[in-house]
Amino acid sequence: MKSSVCITGAAGGLGKAFAVECASRGWDLFLTDLSDTALASLASSLSNTYGINVAYRSCDLTDQASRTELFEYMKDSGLRFHILINIAGVDYEGLFGERTREEIRTILRLNIEANLEMTYAVMKLRDKGEIFRIINVASLAAFYPMPVKAIYAASKRFLLDFSLALREEIRPMGATVTALCPAGMPTTAACIHAINAQGFAGRITTKNVGFVAARTIDHALKGHAIYIPGAVNRLLRFFGGLLPATLVARMVGSRWIAVRYRNNPAAGTA
Amino acid sequence: MDMKHDLKGKTVVITGATSGIGLATAKELVGCGAFVIGVGRSQERCRRAEEEIEGTCPGSKTVYLTADLSSLRQVRELACNIKQVVEREGKGILDVLINNAGTVSSWYVITADGFELQFAVNHLAPFLLTHELMPLLRAAPAGRIITVSSGSHYRTKINWKDVCMRKHYNVLRAYKQSKLANVLFTTELNRRLGPTSTVRAYAVDPGLVNTDIGLKGTAGIARWIWAKRSKGGIDPAVPAKSIAYLAGEPSVHKSMQVYWKDCKPKKPSAYSQREDVALRLWQLSEKMCGIESSEYGL
Repeated sequence: MKSSVCITGAAGGLGKAFAVECASRGWDLFLTDLSDTALASLASSLSNTYGINVAYRSCDLTDQASRTELFEYMKDSGLRFHILINIAGVDYEGLFGERTREEIRTILRLNIEANLEMTYAVMKLRDKGEIFRIINVASLAAFYPMPVKAIYAASKRFLLDFSLALREEIRPMGATVTALCPAGMPTTAACIHAINAQGFAGRITTKNVGFVAARTIDHALKGHAIYIPGAVNRLLRFFGGLLPATLVARMVGSRWIAVRYRNNPAAGTA
Repeated sequence: MDMKHDLKGKTVVITGATSGIGLATAKELVGCGAFVIGVGRSQERCRRAEEEIEGTCPGSKTVYLTADLSSLRQVRELACNIKQVVEREGKGILDVLINNAGTVSSWYVITADGFELQFAVNHLAPFLLTHELMPLLRAAPAGRIITVSSGSHYRTKINWKDVCMRKHYNVLRAYKQSKLANVLFTTELNRRLGPTSTVRAYAVDPGLVNTDIGLKGTAGIARWIWAKRSKGGIDPAVPAKSIAYLAGEPSVHKSMQVYWKDCKPKKPSAYSQREDVALRLWQLSEKMCGIESSEYGL
């Protein structure tokens, strides 16, 4: 049986982009996301357009029981995988003190726990006749402490470090791990609005999801450790890396926090 | 020629009927006594359009349906809803389908089906909707399918390697391609219908019109350019009259001309008339929509 590409968060903006890119390369897919209807539309459309097999199963990746059920389903399906793309992730932007306990848990459960469990499960189902490749969607935020996105950035740093370490562990079996570290992408209407609001700075750091998905796969196939889309972003990362983390955190924070306090004088006191 | 007489009592579907050319056309046709079924994206926009038409033409009969044309599933549901309305109020006959809804997007946006937004809304939605409504159109004495294209269709080709322009998306090239697809679709549709069919298809060049199309999904330079250009554009009521002419003028039915502007035929681009290109796009569109045209008699 031909092995498949497993994609989490497949119904989101970046998820769809990866699904389409992989389909265009003639690869069979296994997709998961929260919504069964969204997966069904995408699956039928991709298999009609590209002539590939697309299996899917909805899952609440923040819920352990739901994850267990997904893994059993994948095991029983007899599917084998040559690529895993961990995209599912979330952020509740804002000051830490203003978040709810549930929001804090959800970020950790989805961005970290679900990623690790998915990687663990799919590794056991890998196609031993192919080079196994993992793509973890981290973020440019992985490189810096980011006030107002504190938990999110830290969770992406976790993924980045974990990816680099796992990469060494599975190198002997010829497998690879690639961490994708993009800036903001025009996925949802809210993201597009945020990018447009940044004006020129937004436009030069933003790459379309189609471009990002295609280039990421190219880099993953070459076994590269990290991919930062966009030369401007790579430059920013380079110069940011020369500065102490505390200074970067202060620079990022000074603008964002000031805006928040201006708009909401009670911010941070919840 | 009493054009008003020819549209009286006719049933017309107009997509994108809540603003711009679509709304102006709806008003024009309602003024000619047609029963208009308008399609819009949101209930709020539909409601406002209904109110505006009621204000212009009190006591007129219109029905507005909501559908997000970027989703093939919603296009199918819309077709079902239109069939119900037409059977209930329109004697089971659809005289005119006006594929007017169009969109522009500065960024590469993927629809629920995995397609690029402009290609999906501007071309695939009309493609699928026309197929689904074909039985109703065939029931009419002279069924017409009018697709609003654009002068943008000149000087461009279909990007076969990457029709959705995923990797190197360019808002203008994507838009031009989708408008070219409108002309190719119309050409191939007429070829499949044949010269003796009661149904005929036309593509309309509305000219440069002052609408919001370039302001809703754009940013930066694209948005700025449209904001400037559209001010030099004509009022949507002008192309609305051209569309109404194509919808109602009987002599048009004898014409083999595919591309029209200001109530006169106009020569479209040579590329848009190539049979091999039109066929290839049609077959690709069938695959993308998951349909076989032969099942619709096309």
